[in-house]
Order: sequence, then C-alpha cells, then structure tokens
Amino acid sequence: MITKEEVVRGATSRDVLAMAAFAALACLAIALDRAHGIAIFVGAVFILGIAAARFKSKRAKVAGFLLILVISLFSIGFNGVKFGIDFSGGVRIPVLLEEPVRDSATMEEMVSTIKTRAAAFGLTEAKVRPIGDSEIYVELPQSSPQLVKDVETVLSQQGVYQGIVDGKVAIRGDDIYSGTIGRVPQQYLQGADWAVSFTVTQGGAKRFADTAKGKADYPLYMYLDRPSNAVVVVSERELSKHSKVAGVTVAKSKARELAQTALRLEGYDIGFYVEEEIAGNFTLAPKDNATIAIVANGSALVPKLSEAGFVVAEKSEDEMSPRYSVSPSNPKSDAVSVWKAVGLLSAPRLVLSVTEGIPSFNYVINGPAEGETASAKATDAIRKEREVVSILKGGALPVRISLGSKTLVPAPLGAEFLRLSVIGVAFALVAISLMVALRYAQLKIVMPVMFISVSEVIILVAIIGSFTIDLSAMAGILAAVGGSVDGQIVMTDELLKKEDEEARKKLEKAFGIIMASVIVSVIAMVPLLFSGIVEVIGFAISTILGSLLGLFISRPAYGAIIERIFE
Amino acid sequence: MAIEFPNLYKGNYMLLVAFPIALALVALLFIPNVKLGVEFRGGVLVAMQTSAPVDEEGLRAALSAEGFPVSSVKTMQNPAGYKVEVEIERDKQLTKAESLKSEFFGMSDELSRLESDAMSNGGADAVQRYADGRRKADEISNGLFAIAGMGKNASEYADTNDLKHAVALAQRKITDDHSEKLSAVLSKNVEYESASFNEVSASLSEKFMEKAGVVVIYSAIAVGIVVFLMFRTFVPSLAVLLGAACDVLFALGAMGLFGIPLTLASFAALLILIGFSLDTNVLLTMRVIKRRDGTARERAYEAMKTGTTMSMALLLSFLCLFALASLTHISTYYEISSVALAGLVGDLFATWFLNAPIVLHYAEKKGDAVDDKPFLSTIFSS
Repeated sequence: MITKEEVVRGATSRDVLAMAAFAALACLAIALDRAHGIAIFVGAVFILGIAAARFKSKRAKVAGFLLILVISLFSIGFNGVKFGIDFSGGVRIPVLLEEPVRDSATMEEMVSTIKTRAAAFGLTEAKVRPIGDSEIYVELPQSSPQLVKDVETVLSQQGVYQGIVDGKVAIRGDDIYSGTIGRVPQQYLQGADWAVSFTVTQGGAKRFADTAKGKADYPLYMYLDRPSNAVVVVSERELSKHSKVAGVTVAKSKARELAQTALRLEGYDIGFYVEEEIAGNFTLAPKDNATIAIVANGSALVPKLSEAGFVVAEKSEDEMSPRYSVSPSNPKSDAVSVWKAVGLLSAPRLVLSVTEGIPSFNYVINGPAEGETASAKATDAIRKEREVVSILKGGALPVRISLGSKTLVPAPLGAEFLRLSVIGVAFALVAISLMVALRYAQLKIVMPVMFISVSEVIILVAIIGSFTIDLSAMAGILAAVGGSVDGQIVMTDELLKKEDEEARKKLEKAFGIIMASVIVSVIAMVPLLFSGIVEVIGFAISTILGSLLGLFISRPAYGAIIERIFE
Repeated sequence: MAIEFPNLYKGNYMLLVAFPIALALVALLFIPNVKLGVEFRGGVLVAMQTSAPVDEEGLRAALSAEGFPVSSVKTMQNPAGYKVEVEIERDKQLTKAESLKSEFFGMSDELSRLESDAMSNGGADAVQRYADGRRKADEISNGLFAIAGMGKNASEYADTNDLKHAVALAQRKITDDHSEKLSAVLSKNVEYESASFNEVSASLSEKFMEKAGVVVIYSAIAVGIVVFLMFRTFVPSLAVLLGAACDVLFALGAMGLFGIPLTLASFAALLILIGFSLDTNVLLTMRVIKRRDGTARERAYEAMKTGTTMSMALLLSFLCLFALASLTHISTYYEISSVALAGLVGDLFATWFLNAPIVLHYAEKKGDAVDDKPFLSTIFSS
C-alpha cells in the first residue's frame, strides 16, 4: 500500500511543487482578477493538463489531476456555475444568419447591433452570444409573452434612422435607397480615410436641400431609434466623462449647451436634466404615461422617476456619457458626436457644397481614422465605415437574419429540473460504484474508481459551467460518468490479468484501447461541434471534453494509483 | 461478475452471427417507421403546463376543425403537474409566405439600386430595367398580400422602400395571425398555466436537415479513415466499422419500434454510439489479434468479460438519464438516453456475436503468425 512517507516524498518533489505553486498562483489570480476569472481558470487547467501529460513520473500525474480538481472547486466557488435557461428559466430565441460569418469583426458587429437595438427597447438584460459562425442566441431571464414579442420586433424590424440638422429632420431612413449605401473605393477618398456614399429619393433630396440650406459646418446628428417622447437625466460625472477631446477640455457649461443642442428636434425635444440639480427638489413630471426617462443604471433617481409616472429606461454609464467633438478654429461645428443612451451614433459636419439649397441625389459621408500604425488606422477606418453604413441602413445587420425556434422555460420548473438532474448524476455515480464493487469485490479498486469519477464530474461541471450548462450538456456530463468508468474498467482488467508482464506494459496496452476509443469518439463528434446546430452543441462539447479529460489527465492518474496499489 | 458465463466461442462460433443478422433484419423492418421530429420536419411544437389532465381527443378534434393539421398530442405528468405537448404540421400558406418573403428580400437591394439609377441619371434603359425588376417584385408582393388578406396591391406603393415595409408587415401579419389563431384555439380548449411555442420554419428545418447530413458524411469519412489508419489491416477494420454501423442500425430500428422521433438530440446520441461501439470492438480486436496468451477463443472470451462490464457502466449511466427523463419529461434527456440505451444493447450483439466471430475466424485462419508490435505506440509510454 501507499505509505505516508511516500506521499510526503512525492508531494515535496520538484515537479509536483512547481505544479502546486502554479495552481496556487492560478487560484490567487482567479480570486483577485474576478473579471478574467474564467479565462484564467480554463488556461490554468489547460497548462496543468499538458504538464501532467508531459511529466512521466507517477507522482506528477496524480498531483496534476488533484491540482486540477482543486482549481476546479476553486473556480466553482469564485466564478460560479452558469446554467442555461432550461435550468434557470427564461426565453431563448436563436437568430439564424443567412450566410455564415467567418470574420470575427462582422460577428462582433452583429452581436453588438442586436444588443444595442435590444437595449433601445429597454431589454438591457438580454444576453446575446454568437454560436458558431451562423447563429446568435438571444436569451432573456424572464419569459412573459410581451417580452418575447418585443425581442422579435427588435430583431425582425429595422430601426428608424433620422438625420437632424439644427433641430429639424434633414433626412429620414426612408429617403435613402438602401441598395445604394456603400463604401467609397480607396481611389475616390480625396484625402479622407474612409467614406460612405448613398443616393436619396427625390423627396429626400428636396427636404435635405431645404433643411441644410445655409447650415455649412453644422453637425448632422445621425440618430437611430431616437425616442420621440423622452427626458434624459445625466449626472455631472457622466456629462464630463469624455470632456477631454484632443487636448482641449470642454467646459461644463459648454458640454451642457452642446448636449441640449443635440437633443433638439422641433416638437420632439428630448428633455435634458442634470441629476445633481433636480435631486434636491424633484418636480419632474412626464408629458404623458408613455414618456421615457433615460437614466443611468442604478441611479438614486430611478424610484422617484417611476413614482412620477415615467417609463424608466436604465442605461450603462458608458451609454449615458456623451462624447464630444470640438475644434477651436471652427466652433460652429462643435457637437456631441456620440450619445448612445438617446440613439445618437454619429455627427458628421456638413460641408459647404451641400448647404447651398440645390437638391442633390448623391451624398458622401467621410471622415478620419485613428490609430498608431497604418494597419490599426486601416482597421479603424473599416470599423467607422461599417458603423455609418449600418446607421444609414437603419441598424440593419450586415448579414440577413431569420429567427429560429424559441424556447420558454418558467423559472420554478427550471430549478426543479436542475435539482432532479443533479440527483440523477449522483445516482448514476452510486449505481456504477455498486456495479464496480460487485464486479471486483475489492475496496481498493472501488475507492479510486469512485474518487476519479466524482472528480471528473466536478472538473467537467467547473469547465462547462464557466460557459453554460444546458440540457444537452447535462446529458453529456452524465454520459461522461459512464465513459469514465468504462475506461477505468479496461485498465483494471488488464492489470488483473495473470500474465508475466510488467504492470507498466499492461497499462500501456489498456491505454492503447482507451486512446483508440477516445480518438474515434472525438472524431465522430467533432463535425457536430462545428455544425452550428446549437441545440446539441452542449452535448458535443461535454462528451468531447469528457473524453479528452479522461485520456490526458484522469486515466493516467488512475493508472498511476492502481499500478502502485497492485505492486 | 460473480456469475461465470460459459465460453460462447467454444463451439461453432459462426452460428452466433445469426443473432445480429436477425436483429438487423428486424431493425430494417422498423426503420421506415422512424418519425422525424419537429426540428427536421418543420411545424409547431406547443408545450403547455396544466394542473389537470387534458382531453386529448377533444383537443385534437378542435384543432383539426380550425384547420390545424395535428400530428400528435401527448400528455405527461411532471413535477409541476401535467405537460401537454401538441405537434402541429407546418402550415402550407406559411411556408409559401416564407419563401415569397425571402425571394423578395433577395432582390430588394438590387431593385433599390435600379430605382435610384432610373430616378437620377439613368435614361430609358435604366428606367426599363427598373420597370422589369419592379414588375417581378410586385408579383411576389401581391402573392404575400393575398395570403395576408390585406387587400392591398403592390402598385399602391410608388417607392421600393415603402413596398419593402409593406412586405415585412404582411409577412409579420401572416405569422402573427397564425400563432394568434392557434393560441386562441388552445386557450379555448385547455386551461394552461404557461405555454411555449416551438416554431420551426421550413427554411430552418431544411437547414437542420442539410447540416445533419453534412455532419453524418464528415463523421463517417473521418471515422473510416481513422479506423483504417489505426488497424492497418483490412478485415479487422471492416469488422469494427461494421459493428459501429450495426449499433446505429439497431438504434434506428428501436426508434421506429418505440416511436422515438429523430430530433437533434437523438441525432447527437446516434453519433456518440459510434464512439461507444468502438471501445468494445477495439478491446476485442486487440486482445484476439495482437496477443498470444491462451487460445484465440479464450482471449475473445476474456475480452467479452471485460467488454460487457464496460458496457454495463455506460448502460447504467444512460439508465439513470432515462429515469431522469421519465421524471421530468425533458425530451432532450428522453431522446438521448433511449437512443443510447438501444444502441448499447445492440452493441452487445454486434460486438460479441458478429464482430467476435469475424475477428476470431480471421485470427484462426492466420494462425499465430501475428506481429507482436504494440498496437498504437502510445504517447504515454516512456
């Protein structure tokens, strides 16, 4: 049997100590850097896994396995385990992209556009995540039918674009021929870093000419889904968060003035209030029962505003803080350039030629790009170009979408499902241990098999739970329990054989079988993993991860333990 | 295990092959009965949570009377009361509307470019091209408006932007009308606490079908290549692949027999069966062909003892999942566990009654002239 001295000797050996120190550091990092806890955890498991597979000594294999178990437990404690809406309750709507999106920039744009549009409808809790290259999940933790309708509206309808000059609508989304919106090729840029051109209808051309007449250098406020009946309440901190622009500081009074100007629209002004000024003597009242109050998340005024009868829309601090563009030489063009909370997404300056009152059908919006290096600048130019195209198209997504089948789960039912599933996994572990006990009738075999299987479940839950455990992932975890014991039986039976071979040789043969089976299992499941069939990707992930974890980490650890036991 | 089975391979083991062949024939008989799940067929799956059981026949009749083709109504007990699942086939009008809509939006960008050309600088040629495009778009739109029952005509919309709005609106109205009508019929007939509508459009089900087909092809090719690379001999490789194919065949037969639909979940379970079938098969092939302790028949018998224990472990975990499915009526659990169970039971026959005789026959014919080079020099060896 394994003696105490042996354990101490093993634990104080250099390779084990190094791994332990690394694991301790990883745990510390998870505890300190909560924002990156998941990335650190997954990275640490990966590195420890490689170390355990590379080090040849038995002690290193066992220690690697134990350390991974420890940081998994640590991660469950600190990072928590995330469950899909099947277990937490809510609604899920898959958004299907009509063509696969291969570059991550476009995918990010899709996700952020959907998020922004969902937030514009007050659905700030919406969780939007890309799945593979042709699907995006929108999940909400609640499940009222109205909410589902809202999301569907957000996703299926286009936004309303308004270009406002000096408090008047100069151009509407419907004035623009959407098919004509496009980037201007490099050779026609005329000094700008990027440019977007578009053609407007006859009515649109006339409206623009009339509105923009004599307004050279004025900003064109480009709004997407601008609320027409709303007030915005900002704090002084938010107002001045971005007040330093290119070496110039926008004074508080100037910031205020610019913000108010940006919010103007004949008959539909958005009311502007500063939190600190109205908090003391709160007399704000809504125009009617549909008036929206836009305010920072968790602001102290939220209860007062909803009591006063406002529909409160809470936004993040970033969305609430306006960004400014100022130029000392040309103060007429000073403006709030971005203010996401109210839907203001860009504010290009009108050049002289379009303000002479003559209708024109073709327009170009251009601008500079930022960046240290040429390639950074080029990337920024593409990003800005895309942004403007997307605004002009009414927030239309770069790739056409359709909605998949939605799933609704009431929260109490989800909790019950989770409880029963956990019992199911526990029951499977007990049942299999009983079988192993019956088969081998030796406690020294049953104990390690049990221990390794339980640990594997914990590690799998920690890793998959860092992302999301859904129904199919849970089924995969249960399958992994069986698969884990399956592999250990091969090894045990090989060792128990009455052959005059070294234990090491016998185990090698067992590994051959396990490896062949793992390779084939993984190969058979990988196409499913990359198929983009999100409904069952969880199953593919947990079975593949379970197989690999077994092959590289827990089977070698079990081998080391059982070999020593039988020596 | 405490009970020792006699060595099956002592006598004429080739007779054993009769079992799996018979089983395969029975499975083939039932495979045509395998029903496609809503994901692959398209349609609406409504799951309602109720506190009292529901009159299934009445509900079916009421839905049919309103023109909803019902394909199944099921009631199950779960922790929160009863779960009623109604599956309704894809509405033909809806499918048509959907394809009209995609056709329209497929051409709308081009049309708006043509319109812009025609309006601004184009000349007679551009005007003509726009008119042609517009005529086609009008035709499609009118088809949609007719289905939506909006009594509009595409020619009412001068500008393509307006027409686009109208088309989007019409499509929305068609799907809204359909689901509102459905929920009206349901709420009249069932007192439900909550209901979820799982709608799978024709284009989505086609996409699932297509993706599943691609997955099957890639999996089959990849597994085939890997198995041949690992064994490097023809007969054992073929035997292993045959075993895997049998497992999937048996599972499909069981699906037809027990009415387990082919859904995404059961599809995933079929894929994992390939991996499960492999480990017992590899164990058998390796022990029989690459070892020389005792006779080949004894080695096969030893392998069987280990292999059945391994399968037991897997069977037990899926039995637990199946029990969980019976308690919760979560269809994902039910489909995965029942398909895996059927396949694993089938695997016992395929491996020990079909593959074992083939491999034994191969080994005995070759005699002891087997190379003793270790199978798959593992990355673990030092």
